[in-house]
Amino acid sequence: MIWILVGIGVVILVVVFGMYNGLIGKKNSVENAFASIDTILKKRYDLIPNLVAAVKQYMEHERGLLENVTALRAKATSGNISSDEAITLNNEINKTMGGIMVAVESYPELKANENFKDLQRSLNEVEEQLSAARRSFNAAVTDFNNAVEMFPTNIMAGMMNYKRRKLFEIPEVERVNPDVKTLFA
Amino acid sequence: MKTIEDFQNYYENDLRPSLEILDGERKSSLRNAGLAGTLITFVILGVVGWMLTSGLPPTYMLFAAVGGGVLAFGAFVLFTKDFKSNFKNTIIRQVIAYVSEDLSYAPTGMISRSEFQSSTLFKNRIDRYKGEDLVDGKVGKTKIRFSELHAEYKTTTTDSKGHRHTTWHTIFKGLFFVADFNKHFQGRTVVLPDSAEKFLGRLGKKLQEWNVSRDDLVKMEDVEFEKEFVVYGTDQIEARYILSPALMRRILEFKRKMKVPVHIGFVNANLYMAMNIKKNMFEPRILRTILDFDLVREYLEDVMLAVGIVEEMNLNTRIWTKE
Repeated sequence: MIWILVGIGVVILVVVFGMYNGLIGKKNSVENAFASIDTILKKRYDLIPNLVAAVKQYMEHERGLLENVTALRAKATSGNISSDEAITLNNEINKTMGGIMVAVESYPELKANENFKDLQRSLNEVEEQLSAARRSFNAAVTDFNNAVEMFPTNIMAGMMNYKRRKLFEIPEVERVNPDVKTLFA
Repeated sequence: MKTIEDFQNYYENDLRPSLEILDGERKSSLRNAGLAGTLITFVILGVVGWMLTSGLPPTYMLFAAVGGGVLAFGAFVLFTKDFKSNFKNTIIRQVIAYVSEDLSYAPTGMISRSEFQSSTLFKNRIDRYKGEDLVDGKVGKTKIRFSELHAEYKTTTTDSKGHRHTTWHTIFKGLFFVADFNKHFQGRTVVLPDSAEKFLGRLGKKLQEWNVSRDDLVKMEDVEFEKEFVVYGTDQIEARYILSPALMRRILEFKRKMKVPVHIGFVNANLYMAMNIKKNMFEPRILRTILDFDLVREYLEDVMLAVGIVEEMNLNTRIWTKE
């Protein structure tokens, strides 16, 4: 009789440990995925000065845009900003970069410039990687949220004080894909 | 863009003369094979007759009949071999040249075994590896290669009497396609037909997570795609970088159009695609005339199917750092 009780106890312990570790694993992969977004954002910050340098000599009338994006980048790389601030800053950067890319349209010489073309490819690549990192983050968060809300892991999550996390939403303006045809026309 | 009318003209002006010569060859090789067959039949009948009079057991006659059948088949293969290879070297070569001058064709060539294995699409041990009809070249900016392949493994069992039986099992048979992918990547991502999730739902997904022979499971957000395929990769972000939402849609549509299982791998800077196509592609027919536009058109369609993957997967869009 006692052995049966011990057996049941062991099984319960294993299940509890499993849930506990599983939840921690899921929380860590969410954090890990967020860190990856950060890495790619840094890559983008590194490209901004290059972009500004490449287009500066051509763009006389858009100085404002260039100064704006430089300032935003400086703020974003200054450190000690919260993740929420980072996201807002990046949405701003997205908008300004979009503006620059539209302005490029009126400078055929610039568009034909090989350096600029390379840069544009790098920017495209970073954007695509960023989108991949966001999707990975969202997948990790969904996994985590499922564990937090579904039975029986929700009981464990409640005790560990784990709460649902927010998905990385992309603001409406951003969701317009860059029109490659006009960029390379 | 070439139309079917263009191809009809090409057929009339460029292919038809070669086809006429080849059809003559086909007839004469068929005649020779027929003669050899008749000869073999008479010989076997003679042998069987002699066996009957000399009172040998009936099993011997069975052996003689089977031997005759094998001989006749061998004669058929032997007499039609030259015709087949001539046909491939002229007609198939011309059809491929019609599709693009940048493509070369090797009737007996194939995607190498090591390359097939490096795709990691199929993990079984390979004991027999065959292939033919290798096409190699460039479509736009994308380098491509494809061939028919048949990879098998064998199992040997020994029955109670000590007889050994070898059974061959197909790992993959169909069209194997390789293209230079348009984005840079380092790791490995594979997209496999999803059987577990289709039948078992969430439980199936759980089981896929524990698949030790594969890399980490990558759960995609496209629900329809997830139902048809399962993705494993060495890097979660890289897998999503490669499989953008647009590419997932393209793969899904391609799969639905093909109606056969499709395995896709992204390894060593390449896209590998294995399609379980049942028919033997680019083969001439022997028993009926080859002076038939629809027959040649089928060859064209088969080439276009493979070459069209570049377009279907959008591989000529080179807007990332990879040229």
